[in-house]
Amino acid sequence: MFQKCKCLTLYNNCTRTDQHKTRTRSKPKAETMTTTTKAPNLELADVDAIVAGIGREERHTIAILQAIQEKYNYLPQEALRRVCEVTEITPAEITGVSTFYAQFRHRPAGKHVIKLCAGTACHVMGSDMIYDALKRELDITGTDDTDKSGIFTIEKVACLGCCMLAPAIQIDDITYGHLTTQKAPNVLADFLSSQEVAEVSAASGRKFGRLDGEIRLCLCSSCSASGARQVHDELRSQIERFHLPAKLKTVGCTGMAYQAPLVDVALRNGRTYQYGRVRPQDTQALVFTHFKPASLLGRGSAAVASLLDRMLTSEQDEPVTRYPVDVRFGPDSLYVGQQYQIATEHGGGLDPLDLDEYLGSGGFDTLKQCLLERSPELIIEEINQSGLRGRGGAGFPTGIKWGIVSKAESDLKYLICNGDEGDPGAFMDRMILESFPFRVIEGMLIAAYAVGCAEGYFYIRAEYPHALKRIHQALKICEQRGFLGDDVMGTGFRCRLHVVPAAGAFVCGEETALIASIEGKRGMPTLRPPYPAEKGLWGKPTLVNNVETFATVPWIMRNSASQFASLGTAKSKGTKTFALAGKIERSGLIEVPMGLTLRQIVEEIGGGVKDGRKLKAIQVGGPSGGCIPASLADTPVDYEALTQIGAIMGSGGMVVLDETDCMVDMARYFMSFTQKESCGKCTFCRVGTKRMLEILDRLCEGKGKRDDLDALEQLTSSVKAGSICGLGKTAPNPVVSLLNYFRQEYEAHVDGRCPAGRCKALITYTIDEKCIGCTLCAQKCAFDAIAMQPYQQHVIVQDNCTKCDICRQVCPVDAVLVS
Amino acid sequence: MIKLQINNREIECKPETRLLDAAQQAGFAIPTMCYLEGLPHFTSCMICVVQDMKTGRMLPSCSLQAAEGMVIETDNEAVQNARREALELLMSDHVGDCVAPCQRTCPAHMNIPMMNLHIEAGRDHEALVTVKEHIALPAVLGRICPAPCEKNCRRDSVDSSISICSLKCYVADQDLLSGSPYLPERKAPSGKTVGIIGCGPAGLAAAYHLQQFGHACTIFDDHAEPGGMLRYGIPEDVLPRNILDAEIDVIRLLGAKFEMNRRVGKDISVAEVRQSFDAVVLAMGPVEVAELEPFEVETTPKTVRVDSETFATSVAGIYAGGGIINPGKLAIRSVGHGRSIAIAIDNYLTRRSLPVLNSRSQSRIAKVEENELRILSASMENLKAATFERKFDGEAISGISVGVTPAQAVTEAAKCIQCGCASFHHCKLRIYSEQYGANSKRYKGEMRRPLKRVFDHPYVVYEPGKCIQCGLCVRITEKEKNKLGLTFIGRGFEVRVDAALEGTMDAGLAQAAADCVDACPSGALEFKSRFCYK
Repeated sequence: MFQKCKCLTLYNNCTRTDQHKTRTRSKPKAETMTTTTKAPNLELADVDAIVAGIGREERHTIAILQAIQEKYNYLPQEALRRVCEVTEITPAEITGVSTFYAQFRHRPAGKHVIKLCAGTACHVMGSDMIYDALKRELDITGTDDTDKSGIFTIEKVACLGCCMLAPAIQIDDITYGHLTTQKAPNVLADFLSSQEVAEVSAASGRKFGRLDGEIRLCLCSSCSASGARQVHDELRSQIERFHLPAKLKTVGCTGMAYQAPLVDVALRNGRTYQYGRVRPQDTQALVFTHFKPASLLGRGSAAVASLLDRMLTSEQDEPVTRYPVDVRFGPDSLYVGQQYQIATEHGGGLDPLDLDEYLGSGGFDTLKQCLLERSPELIIEEINQSGLRGRGGAGFPTGIKWGIVSKAESDLKYLICNGDEGDPGAFMDRMILESFPFRVIEGMLIAAYAVGCAEGYFYIRAEYPHALKRIHQALKICEQRGFLGDDVMGTGFRCRLHVVPAAGAFVCGEETALIASIEGKRGMPTLRPPYPAEKGLWGKPTLVNNVETFATVPWIMRNSASQFASLGTAKSKGTKTFALAGKIERSGLIEVPMGLTLRQIVEEIGGGVKDGRKLKAIQVGGPSGGCIPASLADTPVDYEALTQIGAIMGSGGMVVLDETDCMVDMARYFMSFTQKESCGKCTFCRVGTKRMLEILDRLCEGKGKRDDLDALEQLTSSVKAGSICGLGKTAPNPVVSLLNYFRQEYEAHVDGRCPAGRCKALITYTIDEKCIGCTLCAQKCAFDAIAMQPYQQHVIVQDNCTKCDICRQVCPVDAVLVS
Repeated sequence: MIKLQINNREIECKPETRLLDAAQQAGFAIPTMCYLEGLPHFTSCMICVVQDMKTGRMLPSCSLQAAEGMVIETDNEAVQNARREALELLMSDHVGDCVAPCQRTCPAHMNIPMMNLHIEAGRDHEALVTVKEHIALPAVLGRICPAPCEKNCRRDSVDSSISICSLKCYVADQDLLSGSPYLPERKAPSGKTVGIIGCGPAGLAAAYHLQQFGHACTIFDDHAEPGGMLRYGIPEDVLPRNILDAEIDVIRLLGAKFEMNRRVGKDISVAEVRQSFDAVVLAMGPVEVAELEPFEVETTPKTVRVDSETFATSVAGIYAGGGIINPGKLAIRSVGHGRSIAIAIDNYLTRRSLPVLNSRSQSRIAKVEENELRILSASMENLKAATFERKFDGEAISGISVGVTPAQAVTEAAKCIQCGCASFHHCKLRIYSEQYGANSKRYKGEMRRPLKRVFDHPYVVYEPGKCIQCGLCVRITEKEKNKLGLTFIGRGFEVRVDAALEGTMDAGLAQAAADCVDACPSGALEFKSRFCYK
């Protein structure tokens, strides 16, 4: 029979009373709180020490978790339990927060963590194949992310912010760029060997395999104008003619224009030689100085022989390039002509952490002048007049925002600098934070004075350790020198700034989520209104501006609103920085006046599409933006103009695509990004983006259905309308631009074709009669898809082929075709 | 006071009133799932959206305050579409069967899981009542039904299907043998009359249910004895006639009149039948189209045309079902038709409208993996073993029975996994889905979450697959200051709700368990008691 108690009895018969609710239940058993086995080397005292050093309030949750992970390289449950015991943080909070942010691991990681950049530029340069190749090399299968010996853990990260090195990976603190599937295994070996050598600089540390070295030169417009192109052609013909064991490599500009054409020779033994003002007739002497010609056999057989010879050795033959973690590419490697530097003023000329240099260039003069001579109202009016709009993407007028915060009545107000730059393919904020920390601080202080607040926060991605470090140092210097604190520059103005490292959630770029994150919570956006300007951090009025916005403020205050407003278009004033990357000759960080057309940026600043290919589209605005077709490349950089054609200004990612890029694949790429980054709160964003992604996945696999189009179109509008934050509202944009501008490509996929030859399931690799039978492809194929047939045309067994692309990369005669 | 317009009406409300409340004060109900009074809003499910007619934007009314001058519509087409789509997306990620596959398959829609529960608990009479709610002739069908339900029994992939048909036969036989067979309650006579043409399974079933509704039925048949094909088409050794007679007697006891040897159109004119009765049921089995002419009903080339849900013909008050529309189909289907017709006629005669379930809006799991079922069936057996005190007294019934002993029946019924949903009647997700006509398969996903029931709490079952991440339980445990509490784990599509720090649901829910179950809008949290009994 049934028991009478509510716990087990018939619910229907149960006279539910408050007794049930207040029924004394045994407290959670002690075991449930402390069951799992103790993590190795976990000393509760260490956890206690971490807590003591950081704080016991809820807002410290993320910092505590970061410190624990720093210590154990993951988050042992035991440690989390301990945190709950010794702080105000509840178990629900710590579990919720630690599983929300991508940075946190709940399983031990390998000794070294490989961060594979899944940013836009890396994606278009083939990062997926690199990922597959690395997993293959490490024999990591399924959902595992760590190899069996526990040495390497591989994880995809949103963006490493080194788009010009695409595709790039970071192992611990070393960045490897320009990877190919073939190079990937060598990188691991190189990394392990580098662990034996203490210090590796960017210039040395190369492996050349069978090659004796590299000859490098720059072919940028200025170098080319000095004759670098002719030198390059001559060097190439020398190497080919004499089968020299040298690799000719085009490199980014060193900026030493007066030396151009500049040739670097880097040898296997680590030595480098530099030759300036090289003429074509000098090249032969130059190469023979360093490289010995091979025997002069007949061309075809020589190639086969040397390649067969390689088969006999296990030595790797792909050079690998290492960069230190703080590798930076300033605007100086680009053609400056159309650029106009405001946020990046004095780029390349200032030592980022030399306060005196900053002061020497007029730094903090503006702040002092503001504090002493201008009223907050006048400053806000000036910003209003300048027409400055938020540089984080949405373009809300900065002056209006400041006005709202300044008018809000409250005992406390806060200021936040949003440095959670999460767009894959964007790294402007990182560059500004690293290069111009004082400028951002000055901008923030002007804002703080204008809106009447005395406390502010930098919220910066943890993936930007260098930026975090710089800002920390800069703040310390400013405090010591009286530019921050209780008496800023002796004016009596009081303001303190703190740094909060973000923990890996794109959605935290959304201001309400960012605020939740600073408060130590899961970064879930809340519905606006109320806006942070009225009710933000800890319920107080809060001004949230992007890094670039703050960096622009001192210039406006120094040079006047009218001068700023004289740049740009009717509604978009001043300049905007962009991370120009992808299939472009010269990629890098640029700052251009608003109103410049996309075509001008690509052609005049970026030097046109890479390898002379045809421009297909320009992706602007990252996952919230869209692919603008080449036919609309004359659209100016302008908030409204970009929105009108289905993109957005965004934070400044600009990725150039050529005809080998598949637009369905791009839409899928961005949708997979937003889908992964959705916080999961709103139904439409959480489930809708997943369903859209599934449809796009099906298309790329050739399994698209005709009626998918209906669902896809419906979801683009309902996800936009039914999501409360910017992430969800803009998530469908990449699909909208696909359907608007590249519908024939969409339809081709429904029919099972990928016109760009990009979607693996829809393409095949074949070898044509150009094959000289060198067997290199067969040697490299890891899947037994090519049988070794020396001196004969090779054949790819389609059933075994995984389309890893290695055969095509290694083929010396371009006999591997993709169709 | 704030003035705004809702659904073209001028409304006044206090400042800081939620739009939801402002609308409700004005008498406009708005559906909600993730919102609960007394808790901070969360803005998740988006079912409460209303439209701001000035901007065209959809606003979550549970989270926004009414503002001066707003012009709001709470139930226009755009709003309904948005709600429907939200429901369709939620349903696409909701792992559960609103109705167990056996019941879904049964042409008479018999509540098989509940019958099984009653049998297992030793409540044979309640089991019979459950059976006869849908099936007028269970002892008959227990002998002749090919049991399509058993072919869809999920248990089949664990060991074998449950012998549903034999169990049904067992309870029906027990009832007949008791000497006083179950006579369902009858409503007071309505004064309405129904003429039923044909005394086969469809006609008998219609009469069985119509009599209960209080409508007086007269059945015409040109044969000497009632039963139709059951009597004249099935051999006696398969269906003993005393069984058939016994179940027909119950219908007679309910008050139905049998006019045997009376062929409508010959012994009595169609016109007379149509005149004498408030409604007419055509249940005479397969007929020539020409014979239908006097009824003036619209026909197809082969037979009468009927509405697929109500079985109404083109003529008001005339219904048709059974062999006349599906010649050669199963008796169980005819019995099902008879019941549907009875409900439709009752709606017609009393001007009521009992809701017709929209099965398109029901959640269903396409395929369940064998290991999921193994775990599930084992845990269900444990749960029920702890709940029911089993009685195995009594012996196999001799004579007319199919030979199932009570012990066997209990053991067999105990195998039932209860695939259907215990929250069927109060699940907001299902109710709204039906209300807004959501198609649960519209956004069908590629992968589904695992089917899992967590039983570690003493009186609550947690089915994570059914959770729609509304966060009510998370907020309730937070408000109740649970020591452990529930939390969201992960983010985005993968986000799920569970106890903090890898704890148990028992510890996570703690003193807030009952409140959490009451608040759960999608059946993810349910009392075990409701699971085991309904």
